[in-house]
This record gives sequence, C-alpha cells and structure tokens, in this order.
Amino acid sequence: MNLKNLYEQEIRFVYGQVMNELIEKNPNVFCLEADLSKASGTNPIVLNEHPKNFINIGVAEANMIGVAAGLTADGKIPFCATFCCFATRRVYDQITISVAYANNNVKIIGTGPGITQGANGGTHMCFQDIAIMRAMPNMQVFTPCDAYETRSVLHYMAENYGGMYMQLLRQQLPAVFDESYQFQPGKARKLRDGNHVTLVSSGYMTHFALKAADELAKEGIGVDLLHCPSIKPFPEDDLIESVRKTNAAATVENQNIIGGLGGAVCETLSERYPVRVKRLGVPDRFGEIATEEYLFEKHGFGTEHIKQSCRELAR
Amino acid sequence: MNRDKNTIVTHLNKKDKTMTSLQENEFEQLAAELRYVVTDMICRSGSGHLGGALSLVEILLTLYYRVMKIDPNNPQWTERDRLVLSKGHAAPILYAVLAYRGFFPKSQLGTLNADGTKLPSHADARTVPGIDMTTGSLGQGLSAASGMALAAKKDGRTNNVFCIIGDGETNEGQNWEAALFAPHQKLDNLIAVTDYNKLQIDGFTTDILDLEPLTDKWRAFGWNVLEMFGHDQNDIRRTFLHAKSLRNGKPTMIIAHTIKAYGNKIIENTAGSHNIKIPDKKTHEQHLAALPDGAFPLPY
Repeated sequence: MNLKNLYEQEIRFVYGQVMNELIEKNPNVFCLEADLSKASGTNPIVLNEHPKNFINIGVAEANMIGVAAGLTADGKIPFCATFCCFATRRVYDQITISVAYANNNVKIIGTGPGITQGANGGTHMCFQDIAIMRAMPNMQVFTPCDAYETRSVLHYMAENYGGMYMQLLRQQLPAVFDESYQFQPGKARKLRDGNHVTLVSSGYMTHFALKAADELAKEGIGVDLLHCPSIKPFPEDDLIESVRKTNAAATVENQNIIGGLGGAVCETLSERYPVRVKRLGVPDRFGEIATEEYLFEKHGFGTEHIKQSCRELAR
Repeated sequence: MNRDKNTIVTHLNKKDKTMTSLQENEFEQLAAELRYVVTDMICRSGSGHLGGALSLVEILLTLYYRVMKIDPNNPQWTERDRLVLSKGHAAPILYAVLAYRGFFPKSQLGTLNADGTKLPSHADARTVPGIDMTTGSLGQGLSAASGMALAAKKDGRTNNVFCIIGDGETNEGQNWEAALFAPHQKLDNLIAVTDYNKLQIDGFTTDILDLEPLTDKWRAFGWNVLEMFGHDQNDIRRTFLHAKSLRNGKPTMIIAHTIKAYGNKIIENTAGSHNIKIPDKKTHEQHLAALPDGAFPLPY
C-alpha cells in the first residue's frame, strides 16, 4: 500500500486496503459484511482481490456474529463490519455470548460513528456503542482518529487474540499522525502539552479538540491534550499523570456523555485522583437528521464549546 | 422420508476407528445408565433442565458412538466432526456422553453446577474437553455451526458439523437467518437436528408459537429434510448415515420426534420437566425411581 496516500482518501477505502494487507499477511483473516460492503469500503477492494476471504452474510447481523464465532473455532480471524448501530446494539447478546463470554477471536468494526451518520438520521446515529461495548468483559474497544491510526489499530486487532470492537470513521480526514505511528492499547497520545487544563478526546472529536487547543494557546491557555484511541483498556496512568499537573479535565466524544470516554475519565479520576471534570458530547439525547454544525450547537460539543469549557476549568 | 438403502449399507460397512462397535443391547444399557446418571447429576445440584436432556440421550449417544468422527484423546483434532449444542441448557447429558466416551474423567460429572465447577449448566467450550462451542443464549448455535461448516469448506476439509436446536429455540429469528445462509453457501457438511419434543417452557409449542408445518419450512429454505423417532437407536443411526451420505450442495435438517423427559414417569411429556427443582433428598430419589431400568452405580 502506498502509505503516503493514506490520508488523501476516505478512511473506508483505507479499511478495504488494510484488509487486503492483512489477508495477504495471514490468509486466515476474513472480511464479513452484512450488505453494507460498499459503505465499509471492502467492496470492491477486498471482493476483487480476495474473493475467497470475503463473505457477504446479507442483512442478517445476528447471523454474521454467529458465523464469525464459528469461523474462529478453526483459527479464522473474522472482521465483521456494518454501521455502529447494527454492529453493537442490534447484536449485543450475540456478541456477549458467542464472542465475549465464549472468548472467541471475533473483530467487530462499527462504521459511521455518532453524528457522522449524517443523512441517515436519528435511527442510525448510535451514541451508545462505546458505552455498551465497554461494559462487556473480554472486549477491547478502540476509536482511532485518522487513517494512520486506523491502519495500526487494525493490525493490532489481527495480530492479537480476543474480542475487539473498533469504530471506523468512513470519511476523508486530515492526518493527525504519520507513517511511523504505532498503536498501543491502554495508552493515550499526548497531542499538545499544557499546564492549565487536561482535555481528553477520542475518535472524530480529536480533530476538533486539536483546533480548540491551538486556538486556546493563542489566548495563553495551555491545554494538555490527550487523545484516547483505546477506550478499553483505558489509559488510566496517562490521565492521572496529566491531571496531577492541571487539576481539571474536560472530555469530548462523538457519543452520549454517559458511559463512554467521559464515563471512563470520571470513573478513573473519582477513584484515583478526584478533580473537576466537564463532559462534552451528546447529553443523553437521540440523534436526528441535521448538519454537523446544527448538532454541535444543539448538544454543545463543537470547537467553541470545547474552548469555553476549557477556559472555565483553567481558571 | 426418502432413504437410499444402498447408500446406507455402504456407510455401515465402512470401518472407522473413531467410532465404537456398540451392539444394540449395549446401546440400550448405556442409554439407561446415562438417563440414571444425568438425572442424578441434575438432582444433586438442586435443579436443572432435565426434560430437554432426557430427550437427547439416544441422539447424542448415536452421534458420539456411531456417527461422528472424533478422537477423545485429541479433542481439538482438526479433521474431527464438530457438534454445536445450540440448546445449551441440555449440556448435562452432553457432558455425560463425553465423559463416558473418554473425553474427561467420569468422576467429574458429580460437580455439575457446583461452586467453581468446570461443568456449568449451559455448554461451555472454555472448560469442557469435547465441547466445540459455548452456547446458552438460544438461537445462536446454528449460525456458529454454519461458520464452522464454512471454515471446513474454505480449508478443503471433509468433516461434518452437527448442530442440535430445540423446538422452542426455533422461535428465535436468528435460526432463520442461518436457515437462509447455509444453503446459499452450499454447506452440505452441515447436519442439524431439531429436538422436536413439542414442549417449551410455557407449554406445548402448538399453543405458544406453532412451528408447523416444520418440515415444509426447512425444505422451502433449501434444506434436505429428514425425520426420525429420536428414541429408536436404529432409526437414528440410519437417518444420520443417510444425512452424511447426501452431500448434494444442501445442508440437512433432521426433525427428531422426541419425548421431553423421556423415561421419567413423573414428568415425561410435561412442560414442567423443562427445569425441575429438587428441594430435598426425597424428591431426588423419586426422580431416580421414576426411571424404568433400575439403579446404576454412580461414577463419582
């Protein structure tokens, strides 16, 4: 793969190309789809290159998880992709029993997280997938922010045993990292160094957190920006190290503020190093069809809201 | 039922060292002993799914002694036949059959559902040698069995994958997703069995959620469909051997007509047999005495 071009295309096509890369490295890797293979970026990229490793299950997500569990019994490594809402909440019991409880090596890819579902509207906007997957034993949960990180997380998933869930951003996004990036589970990435406030972001919202941090720096507010691609295992020590310095933390995620990144930060800090925390994200509401700007404004988690919360906490 | 007798004879004559040469009378004895042992296992643990376990005694014995290609000394043998007990609550009888077949010591059978046990109420592949898939939430096993059958096809292996689903379990929609998937993928190495004892927890299947016409449904989905009486060892053997011989591009569903809690005169053919409670020693003894063939020495 031409790595230099990774950030110049939609990330779903990166997913397709990385799947090819993984299959070429290990023919036991399988690409499972539930009639959304074009949206996931594996059709035609994987379908044409490795048709034997491409299985379209049809619009039957429960069966997709079950078939994947059966494939693992013979050492296959199935990656099951569909929209976040169908990949998690629709098949939560199938994942719980046939994957996590049974300790089968199934990889689940939720595409189009949170508000990035856009025109599909409220029925498809899943704001709770991180929270519910996090609450499951034997399940690791990742939410990368760009093409390079996505690629590295996928390699980690293929090379390590266990049930894992990854949110896949489908659209083209600016590169946050570069070719040298190596994903580490349970570690945060320090994207900006500052002494006044800790800002914890994940996935899509890291792009807005970066902008907020850079603009606040011009105001003289030092933001310690931690990007968390690994929600579970959660980078507790990295977080504690940062708040020892700043004594306050804001969180921002493309999810309900209940139980996800904000929840993980609050759980960690309340037990180990209590400081004031402000959670930004969707305040326990369903999604709706609207522009991103409208949704940020309505729910209060766009760049300006991040900046305002950081200013208040930095005081 | 449409059986090709010549095919059956060919298969019966084939020597396979992974199968036992259990005679008819020995089979009857073993079935009686396993009924006794599984009843005691469940009773001593205080409660359990006895009805659905007793309806599978002859079917599981046939599979593990006469039909499946397995090696008790090598439970992970790649070429082996697999079995997914999708109605995972019948695990105690599967544990008993596996132990008697030599997968693990029979002495462990007395630990069913005890604190810290490796033999939990629902089938557990993590802790029990010989169990091929962890089950317990109904409706998921046929999908997993389809995945196993697909893996065999992808790898060019000739092994069969067996899957046992319950009739009540058949209410779950996921079965019908798998019912579409397996014929589409031409999984003729998949042989499923419906334990059709006509009872589910709340009553008769015809009263709760009728499955009929059941054979027509599976046939319409593109499966070979066979029927058998699930307590007649010869009918069971013939049907499984016929199913193995088909390999015609379609998966096979065997509708096994069974009797819930078969053999236990107190609870036979009652919905209440699904999960029995054993409050005291007296009830325990009543259930053992309700079996027709007397007592057997317990292996634990």
